[in-house]
Amino acid sequence: MANPSNSLLGGILDFDNIKKAVVDMNVEKVKDLVAKSLKAKLQPEEILEKGLIAGMKEVGRLFSCKEYFVPEVLMASEAFYAGFDLISPLIKTGKMKEKGKIVIGVVEGDIHDIGKNIVKVMLDASGYQVVDLGKDVPTEKFIEAVTRENPKILAMSALMTTTMVRMRAVVKGLEEKNLRNKVKVIIGGAPANADFAKRIGADGYGEDAAKAVSLVEDLIGK
Amino acid sequence: MENKINRVIKREKKLAIFPIVCADHCARLLNMSLAEVANDGKKLAKVLEFGYQTYQYDMVLVFSDPYVEAQALGCPVKLSPSPTLLGPKSTSVSDRTGEIIKAAELLKLRVEVPVFVSIKGPFTLASFLIGIEDFLKDLISGRKSAEAAINHALEFQINYLDRLLKLGVNVFIGDPVASSSVISPKTFKQFAYEPLQILINKIKEKGLIAGAHICGDTKPITPMLDELGADILSIEDITPKTKTLKMGGVSTDTIFAGNKAKMAEEIKIALNEPYLILATSCDVPTETDMKNIKMMMEIAHTYHRN
Repeated sequence: MANPSNSLLGGILDFDNIKKAVVDMNVEKVKDLVAKSLKAKLQPEEILEKGLIAGMKEVGRLFSCKEYFVPEVLMASEAFYAGFDLISPLIKTGKMKEKGKIVIGVVEGDIHDIGKNIVKVMLDASGYQVVDLGKDVPTEKFIEAVTRENPKILAMSALMTTTMVRMRAVVKGLEEKNLRNKVKVIIGGAPANADFAKRIGADGYGEDAAKAVSLVEDLIGK
Repeated sequence: MENKINRVIKREKKLAIFPIVCADHCARLLNMSLAEVANDGKKLAKVLEFGYQTYQYDMVLVFSDPYVEAQALGCPVKLSPSPTLLGPKSTSVSDRTGEIIKAAELLKLRVEVPVFVSIKGPFTLASFLIGIEDFLKDLISGRKSAEAAINHALEFQINYLDRLLKLGVNVFIGDPVASSSVISPKTFKQFAYEPLQILINKIKEKGLIAGAHICGDTKPITPMLDELGADILSIEDITPKTKTLKMGGVSTDTIFAGNKAKMAEEIKIALNEPYLILATSCDVPTETDMKNIKMMMEIAHTYHRN
């Protein structure tokens, strides 16, 4: 049942409904509810926090416990962004929770970016500013982005055994440019693991999207 | 004498060994690029033969990269610095299936062990044709494009398989996008299972060996994989009991790292299986040190002798 304090107009427009529409992967319903909530003068920050972000957190939980899989998370992400795109221009600078900047990308030679995209949406939903370099990103582009953006975290992934070693090249590149001590490096992707992360000099390995967010929180909190 | 792979499948022998060494690693051993060998059946056969002669494993797998069929169906692919699918299906077609067949034909004459060709499962191939993300969303959104792409991929693979089976080579079907790391067991059953089974049945009708490979998490679908009727299941976690012969036991990261103690431990556990093709959980990373692969062969032989 919806929390009455979150309800408006008899519970039709409430944060719980937005959350549920995200979890139900209902793009059109999220758009509709967010638009109506804005029209009813609800605060965009609250819609984001209590509706959209709460929805994605639940999606993350369902993914972790294997009730949701990648297709479901992708559809829920689409629903999240449908609402997020409506409210993000209305959120005043500095009012949205800014926990820190993260640069994220898939290494060169690898176009498997679904995992990266899911991590990105979970980080967005957790209040981080994410700079997405996309997929098939050459080592020098990672280095340039760290120099330019000065992020707290660099997150990389690779899904293929042929490309996972490129994450090591990026860490080496950061060392050579004396940037390694300025940024925490985390990695992800099916062929990697915590041992591999340690061996290549990364600060951690995120087994899935929810664990990647926990890892970021641990590292930034340190 | 009959080859080891067949004898293990028949449960006449306990163990065969195949670190999943593919063309990328073998090409590196000969200072060749994958792009060079992936477009030329003779060179592909040459590097794979060299890999076999170097490591002396019990089968050879003709596999250059995951995008051979996708490219033949019109997906743009670049092979350097590593194989990359550049986008969904477009109009340009570059068909390398003939080179794969040529390589298999040459290898059959040159090596004493069974030759397998790796092809993609229709589910995974379909995901390449329309882009993995759109494909996965289509599966649960009720749109029919994913289903149409699977049917198109299946039709292509049936024809490709016919050409391979005429040669008398064995076939491994790799379907990584059908892994439980990506889709639910329900989605697997609904979309991936039947096309896989159709291909496996065709291979078995010809009296050849059918293997199925899915990496990542396969535990939730292992009972379904076991019902496919394949001769070999190559999976990351070999602990679930199956009637089908399993292949695996050594993680790709372990072979890449070359940690002898960890490798020995993994092999020791794997050899608790009554019958097994001891293998890596996925293909050996390109840059893996030659001595690590030899180490895997030696440890396995030592344990097996004792």
